[in-house]
Amino acid sequence: MTARSVDVLVVGGGLAGALAALSARASGASVLLVRRSPGATALSGGALGVAPDLDALPGDPLLVRRSPLESARRLAARRPGHPYAVLGVHQLEEALGFAGANLSPLIEAADGRPRFLAHVSGGLAECALCLRSQAAGDLRRARGLAVAIGFSGHLGFDARLVASAVERLTPAGGPRAAFADAIAFTGPGDGALRPFELARALEIPGAAEALGAAIRAVLPRGATVALVAPVLGLDPAARVHERVEAAAGLPVAEVVSDPPSVPGLRLDLALLARLAAAGIELVQGELAAGSGPGRPVQAGGLTVEARSWVLATGRFLGGGLWRGERLVEPLFGLPVLASEAGVAGVAGLALAGRRPMDLTFRERTAAQPLLAAGVAVDPACRPLDQTGRPFHERLFAAGAIIGGHEHAADQTGLGVAILSGWIAGRGAAGEGRL
Amino acid sequence: MTPSLHALVYLGWRAVLVEPVKRLFQRGSGLERFEANFAADRLAPTSLVDREVAFEASRCIGCGLCEAGCRLLGASPAIAALGLPAAFRLVGRAGGDLAGAKELLAVCADCAGCTTLCPTGVPIGRVVRHLANRASPAS
Repeated sequence: MTARSVDVLVVGGGLAGALAALSARASGASVLLVRRSPGATALSGGALGVAPDLDALPGDPLLVRRSPLESARRLAARRPGHPYAVLGVHQLEEALGFAGANLSPLIEAADGRPRFLAHVSGGLAECALCLRSQAAGDLRRARGLAVAIGFSGHLGFDARLVASAVERLTPAGGPRAAFADAIAFTGPGDGALRPFELARALEIPGAAEALGAAIRAVLPRGATVALVAPVLGLDPAARVHERVEAAAGLPVAEVVSDPPSVPGLRLDLALLARLAAAGIELVQGELAAGSGPGRPVQAGGLTVEARSWVLATGRFLGGGLWRGERLVEPLFGLPVLASEAGVAGVAGLALAGRRPMDLTFRERTAAQPLLAAGVAVDPACRPLDQTGRPFHERLFAAGAIIGGHEHAADQTGLGVAILSGWIAGRGAAGEGRL
Repeated sequence: MTPSLHALVYLGWRAVLVEPVKRLFQRGSGLERFEANFAADRLAPTSLVDREVAFEASRCIGCGLCEAGCRLLGASPAIAALGLPAAFRLVGRAGGDLAGAKELLAVCADCAGCTTLCPTGVPIGRVVRHLANRASPAS
């Protein structure tokens, strides 16, 4: 079998990998992306967090909260091991613009201000970008009375809990909150449906209009926005959100939910569509270990040779890191940093040899070195070897495989994916054209 | 340190004397002895393949993404009610529990729609096939 030759091979198809492929393609390189399955991006709630305002108190007025970029700058200044500090937070604005432009029909354009979205758990998600269908639920901008509306067929959505999340921000300048429960919408068959089943059921002609009318019927007087479960259609082409809004007669917004979340799936589908439109070849399957940039490799039944590689394999979930006796990066055996230097009072490399089970602490709010594990990179996004030099001139890393941040706790996961994907893709393309 | 010294002496006594002597009087293979002891409790022995599959299945995080690719989910109410993660709750079970899920496991058409959707790379099709074989070994 002859080897396919491309400039850039991207390993991993989450947000980081897809943006690396797109930015390399935008720089003129030919790109092939290999991915085993949807990544952690498909499990996200669809809201793209960049950096929360760590100095804000819960009662602070929403209008004066810091922008995500300013929050990211402060985070980088405080934590020198964080990818924002290593890669240079000054490039974040351009990277976010690139991500927004590539996801533009699905994602609402950023206005530089933070968005505060209600979460199904009764909490809040502070993010820089969100889906268009979520934007009307931004509590910083919404005025009047926000009404959370439950579906009787959806078990994972408690309207009262969502209303309590809104209520908490009312004194800070958010809208007032109310809830209306149990709209009798159950799609095909009886009993509870999964979020994506509800989403598909709403794509059927007439279903979205019926839901909109049902929402209208239960709205209390003075309602200005309706907050619903994130199930308004899987395929954006079905325009479920627009149809529901038109029938309900007021802005309707999806809240953020836990996986499996339909907005996360929509994000994944939008990335795939964008890759295809940009002329990036997608190969589904596993990548064989033991190769590297400039050498042939088996990728999902195809032999590929690429001058530059971008490693966007994720962390524990995506398979970028293995948790065995110790932490291992399986493709190259790159040294894994087990903690952000300085956090938990330990230097990162000192923990690398320890057993993963020793890298967590019982206290839930403590820094958890295991959750910040990953490879170290230089400012060009190239992973470092034991001596602190780039492992390979044309090997780049992007996304959660880069260590130094606990993405679940500090809410910078997708922001790091966007920044590192953008930088790694450009770097890989630059080298590829030599 | 005294308790651990006691423990070591006891373990040494078992290893050097008791176990070798016991082994001299043992009859039948390990599998036969397992069945003699545990068949009455409807426990099935765990083979190497079982362990391998259980290890693969342990990567399941219960996210439910696989269900979006399951063609049978929409067709069969029993599967729609339980979902694919229910199959992972069967891993490690033996006897009655597994036999009760025989029909459910047998309807899998092996379309592999689920496996390509798993973010953690669990070979779902293989796990379901393996469980189906264990549930009805004759077929």
